[in-house]
Formats: sequence, C-alpha cells, structure tokens
Amino acid sequence: MLGRGAQTVSVLAHPFDMALPSFMKHLAVLEHSGLIRTHKTGRARTCELLPARLSEAETWLAEQRAVWEARSDRMVEFVEHLHEEEQAHVAGTRRKR
Amino acid sequence: MSQEPVASADANDLVITRSLRAPVSALWRAWTEPDLLKQWWCPKPWSTEVRAFDLRPGGAFHTFMQGPDGGTSDNPGCFLDIVPQARIVFTSMLTAGWRPNTPWLGFTADIAMSAQGAGSLYVARVMHPDAATRDRHEQLGFFDGWNTCITQLDEFALTLAPK
Repeated sequence: MLGRGAQTVSVLAHPFDMALPSFMKHLAVLEHSGLIRTHKTGRARTCELLPARLSEAETWLAEQRAVWEARSDRMVEFVEHLHEEEQAHVAGTRRKR
Repeated sequence: MSQEPVASADANDLVITRSLRAPVSALWRAWTEPDLLKQWWCPKPWSTEVRAFDLRPGGAFHTFMQGPDGGTSDNPGCFLDIVPQARIVFTSMLTAGWRPNTPWLGFTADIAMSAQGAGSLYVARVMHPDAATRDRHEQLGFFDGWNTCITQLDEFALTLAPK
C-alpha cells in the first residue's frame, strides 16, 4: 500500500482486523527497522516507505522479525482470550453446583 | 525492541518477548494443541493446516499455509526439545527422525515460557543461518507470497474506502 506513496495510519490500519494500538506497535517495529518513516501532521500520523535503505540481508531479517512479532501478538491475544474463556467456564461450573 | 543483539549470541538471532496475563498452562495449550495453534499461526486471510504434530524430540512438526490467491507455504520440520509447560525447540533444518532437510527458510526456534506473577513470560529466540543462505531463500520468493497477501488486503480496503 505504501508503494503508492505516503498514507495516514488510519488508512493503513483499515484492512487489518487489529486494534489501532496493536497496529501502531507493528508500525513502530517497521520504523525502528528503518523500513518506513512516520511524521505527524496535525492530528494525523503519516507513513512512507524508505526504499533501499537497508541491505538485502538486513531487510530479510527485519521481515522475519515482522513475521514473528505479528505471530507473537496473535498468539498473546489468542491465549488471553482462551484463558478468559476457561475462567468463565470454571466460574459457570461453580455457579451450577 | 533494540537493533543491538544484546541478549543474542548472533546477529541473525531474533529474540521476541511478551508478558501475558494468562498463565503458562494456557500458553502451553495454544502451542501444543494443533487445533488451537492453527488459529493464530499465520495472518488472515492466510490459513494454516497442521500436517504433522508429533510432540517429542525428533517428532514431525509440519505446517502448510495457504493464501486467498492459492499461494502456499510448505514448512516441514521437527521438534528438537520438549519440556512440558516450559520449552519447545523446533527447526526447519531437520524433518521427522532428525532427517537432514534443505528448507526454503532455514531456522531453529527456541520457545520458552515461565510463570510471571499471575501470568506468564514468553520468550521466542529464532536463529537463522548465514546471510548467503538467507539471500538464496529470499530468491525463492517467500516474500512474494506475503506481499501478494498484503496486496489483496490493499485491494479489499480500496473497495471499502469512501469515494
């Protein structure tokens, strides 16, 4: 998407089934890795790609980090939801007794 | 996150840490029950099929991911070390029974989980081979698959965007 030019965070976040703070964390990883640059204009934060700043090897590792960071975020969300369901189930069982 | 490999023996290691409100037992379930694992393993709209999951050292761990455009990512591998409720180590460099493999994406992942207060601490260390191997893998087009996925999301978003 950024390949078409700078975009605001809300436009970038729109297609993803993810809370904005989580999405911002992913952007922070990309920015820290030097793959994108962000700047604030009024209330909107805009992102743009930084083309070819990194060597191929560094880009490769940054991409792997992005894959594992995102996987870990999905896992945490899943596990915490799983735990809440287990707790609710235990509470429900106790009430029935 | 730091770009310095502070806690890492090698510049090609990734160390990813998360603190969870959920206990280790829930974390362990999410990693060791294939029906649960496949729900978070890859980003939607890609889906994960767990083709083999033999949770013991030398046992097969094989995932197959499929994208909305028919793109696929086949990832056979094997477990190296299992410590119940604490640690899972697996690699793509070997398949079931420690048989040597030449994967398109070489890595060994060391997943550690421990109690932390009422919740848990999760630390994933993902180790990669040297740069030459990585470059070769990149040429095999892994990221084309993910980029296709992102392109599709992009196109979908454009249909939703206010005109």
